Amino acid sequence: MAMAAARRALLTHLRVPVARPAAAAAAGTVPVAARRLLSSTTEETKGSFLDKGEVADRVVSVVKNFQKVEPAKVTPTAHFQKDLGLDSLDTVEVVMAFEEEFGFEIPDNEAEKIDSIKSAVDFIASHPQAK
Amino acid sequence: MAALAAPTRAEALSLFRSLLRTAKQFSDYNIREYTRRRAADAFRENRALPDAPAAAAAFAEGKKQLEVAKRQAVVYSLYAPKSKSVMELKVQ
Repeated sequence: MAMAAARRALLTHLRVPVARPAAAAAAGTVPVAARRLLSSTTEETKGSFLDKGEVADRVVSVVKNFQKVEPAKVTPTAHFQKDLGLDSLDTVEVVMAFEEEFGFEIPDNEAEKIDSIKSAVDFIASHPQAK
Repeated sequence: MAALAAPTRAEALSLFRSLLRTAKQFSDYNIREYTRRRAADAFRENRALPDAPAAAAAFAEGKKQLEVAKRQAVVYSLYAPKSKSVMELKVQ
């Protein structure tokens, strides 16, 4: 009885130093992961806005990659229909491509208002879910 | 019949958007691209219909196709391809 108790006490005592280095080794990585996790959740709840310059670059490259557009004509101020020669159906497709690029859904009433690169950039940069 | 009224421009574009959204849900590259292309082609083909009944009929057909696409996206998701199409691989 006393032996068993002593043994258990010894084993629990022995376990502690073994666990410590592992915890210490993990300590270096865990807080980083935890911080990343925390920051991503707070970003989602608070909403983080993308930098307008970065949005503009990505919008321009999406439009340039659209097959019906002449890449040379794409400027940050280009209007889809007047400057790029796109029709309303093309515009719907371009806006869908923006959704894919920025990973969020643009509702119909907002999508209707996007008719130029500038309006697309303004909308996406003011949208908290754009990534 | 209420279906004879021509759809508004916004309604037509909204149907087009819904079709494109549904097309994206297909797990198979070929079906996904076909659905997207088919929707775009059909809307271009019917862009200048002569009268309201023709436009209404095309719109009703489009809505029917949207239901088909939605249903098929679910069915096909049960038989998703195990590997990606070569077209989906990014060149590195």
